[in-house]
Amino acid sequence: MSDVALSLQDISKSFDGQSALKRASFELRWGELHALLGENGAGKSTLMNVVCGLYTADDGRVVINGEEVSITSPADASSYGIGMVHQHFKLIGPFSVAENLMLSCSRKLGLKSIAEVGRLASETAQMLGFNIDISARTDSLSVAERQRIEIIKLTLLGANIMILDEPTAVLTDDESLIVLSLLQDMADQGRAVVLITHRLREVTQYADRVTVMRAGETILAGATAKTMNRGHLAEAMVGKSVSLDMAEELPKENPHAATRLELRNLSLSRGSGATVINQLNLKVRSGEILGVAGVGGNGQTELTEAIIGLEDKLTGQVLIDGKDVTNLSIGRRRQVGLRLVPADRFAYALLAEFRAYENLALTDVPGNRYGKSWRLSRERMKQNAKQVFLERRITGGKPTTRTRLLSGGNAQKLLLARELNQDASVLVAHSPTRGLDVRAYQAVHESVVGAARNGAACLLISEDLDEVLRLATRIAVISRGEIHGPFSTSEIDRSRIGELMAGHA
Amino acid sequence: MRKRLVLMPRQNIPFWLNAVSLATGVGLGLTFATALLLTTGVDIEGIINEFILYSFTSQRGLAQTVTKATAFLLVGLGSAVALKLRFWNIGIDGQVWLGAIAAAGVAIHDIGDPSSRLVIMAIAAIIAGSIWVGIPVVLKLKLGVNEVISTLMLSYVAFLIAQHLLYGDWRDPSTSFPVSSGFDVETERLKRIGFGHAHSGIWLALAAALIVSYLMLVNRFGFYLTAIGINPKGAKAAGLPVSIVIVVAVLIAGGLCGFAGFTIVAGQEYRLTQYVVHGYTFSAILIAFLARFNPIAVIPISFIVAGLFTAGDTLKTFYQLPLSLILVVEALILGTVVAVEFLARYKVSLVLKRTHQPSAPVDHNLSGKSNQVVP
Repeated sequence: MSDVALSLQDISKSFDGQSALKRASFELRWGELHALLGENGAGKSTLMNVVCGLYTADDGRVVINGEEVSITSPADASSYGIGMVHQHFKLIGPFSVAENLMLSCSRKLGLKSIAEVGRLASETAQMLGFNIDISARTDSLSVAERQRIEIIKLTLLGANIMILDEPTAVLTDDESLIVLSLLQDMADQGRAVVLITHRLREVTQYADRVTVMRAGETILAGATAKTMNRGHLAEAMVGKSVSLDMAEELPKENPHAATRLELRNLSLSRGSGATVINQLNLKVRSGEILGVAGVGGNGQTELTEAIIGLEDKLTGQVLIDGKDVTNLSIGRRRQVGLRLVPADRFAYALLAEFRAYENLALTDVPGNRYGKSWRLSRERMKQNAKQVFLERRITGGKPTTRTRLLSGGNAQKLLLARELNQDASVLVAHSPTRGLDVRAYQAVHESVVGAARNGAACLLISEDLDEVLRLATRIAVISRGEIHGPFSTSEIDRSRIGELMAGHA
Repeated sequence: MRKRLVLMPRQNIPFWLNAVSLATGVGLGLTFATALLLTTGVDIEGIINEFILYSFTSQRGLAQTVTKATAFLLVGLGSAVALKLRFWNIGIDGQVWLGAIAAAGVAIHDIGDPSSRLVIMAIAAIIAGSIWVGIPVVLKLKLGVNEVISTLMLSYVAFLIAQHLLYGDWRDPSTSFPVSSGFDVETERLKRIGFGHAHSGIWLALAAALIVSYLMLVNRFGFYLTAIGINPKGAKAAGLPVSIVIVVAVLIAGGLCGFAGFTIVAGQEYRLTQYVVHGYTFSAILIAFLARFNPIAVIPISFIVAGLFTAGDTLKTFYQLPLSLILVVEALILGTVVAVEFLARYKVSLVLKRTHQPSAPVDHNLSGKSNQVVP
């Protein structure tokens, strides 16, 4: 039997004429943890979706255990022992762990009682080195726990080739460590494990080998990961050497700067009585970037919505430049310079079906920038958009392109161009770089720093601790709707932030 | 080798493909409709005569088509405005009823000065139509009640109100039928324009089409409407006055439907009867869909749909076929248009599937002995 578990050769795939994979190749051996690294849109997930039967390749060979096979459905993939944990888990919230597992594995396991499925699941969990409560509702579990359920599911389904799509994207450092060591253990037990990621640290610390993809092609195939230099990996990812230094100097803490955004006793409860934000007080000064670190789901979304005015069941006050805006509409808040860069661009900020120039103009239409209400000037919108496209180097589309057709990075550039003009007084950025590649990441950070340098008060709410540590002048931690801090960057270190994030205050 | 169909969403749908898809959909729908009519005993010559020649080229038929098009144009516009917002108003009949009832009420009770009676009737109809859709929109915004249910149910309520009035206070004392007394010839009827039964309501409807086109295509309002239709939360976060625009747009839609009710009682029937309103909801949605919610395209399309009904009237007279057959024809067209649109949105291709045998049996051992996992 071959020691190569899976070999992909010259895989090509295009979507409606747009090439996503160009003769990509990949080789996975038994017993290794293989990192698949690349920017967003590099084709990592597409390639793995071909393996697990969600997409059918236009061309190329898939070889499993030395035999060429054809995988045209997830059931095919499963029959070859291939399983994938997707970024968005496929669990049914109100069902218990055992019920979810029964649902997914019934075809494999045959008819079994819930108790029996639960017993199997517990055994599997113990064998993998952790414990689970099989009777817990899956929606009461943390992201890390849900991830483990997905891994148990794959094991029950008999997968010995496991693919994990960005498993650490929403985890704390501690939780990531647990998941990554679990993956290492699984590889040590003889399985073949693929870790899709764009975090260089995970690659050099945990993976055995690494394959780098760029623009649908394999750039670096199966190099030994532990000896790789991170700079070289980054270079392979983006094609040319990127400096991760900021072009602009980071803002410094200035205790004398005026407070521009103030939150007083903000509280928010859900209809069920659960407190989502609890008595939150925070002051953000002009020219600073106040980073709010925390694990997703601890009140970040609600805090963002409360500040911009999307949340109407709120108690407490929001002040901008000393003016109480709590009862003002979003339009009025924008007029005093409140700006938003959210994590989920197409839910809150950009309208997917609108053309790019329309999205660029959207927030300025109420302020008469594009003509009075009786006559909207689309010409002026298009002219402005043309200029912005040139200045911000937005590529892959024209001002008249539908926004959903722009890549993540270009869409985010469009949004930054709209939100971060000269008049911004307060910027709320909620995980502004989620899902972006290295270059777009850099562009977003430079824009946030630029806004701070122009005197805006920036509140950076992020689940990415590296991002907070990199940009923030002061750091606060949000945990179960409560704020700890803010602390000066000299007062707090990574491990202390980790403790606060995990709730050990 | 086996062949297999694969569907793939298109990234960008070119204009010509949309046009071809619409034409194919309508063509297929008409083909099915023709087949259906042939089974009911109408011969092919009859179909061509009634549907094309009579409805659109003969003087009498065209006049009937224009008369019917008046109300269709108004409800089509109303539907286009509401659907642009993704507000599913399927109680258009109810709003037309309320408009007809309000206009009839003003006429029957001689409210206001006779010289401005028609204007008062029209305004009362617009307000009544707006109120009837205003209830669902407020329920939706305040309590999250689905408008599909509330508008549809209120439509039945509207019909019951009309029946209640026609069997009660408003019944014409000179007849035993449930109809109101006739409107005054001089002051309460829209003037004929000298083309069959066509009345001046058609000019009012065309004017309404121009106003709605201006609002949706030139004014800022249309921009807001489109934005909210795409993503209300995104539009709200961008600072647009979302609730106000929704309320105003939906009230305009209801007002247009109420106004249609006015043109029917004041221009065609000259009294309120149990039969003044029928099948407008479905026709309005068909018109708005075929026009892709563009108010200018609503104008020709409502004339075409009106022509279908003219043909239906003659089929009723000469072939003893029920008028609801025309609703079936409409349903066929809408159904095929939506079905064909699917093919414009997705690319269908045939791919070869290689036959395969599963490789060596995969070890499903759960005991966790590492050496047993790898073959």
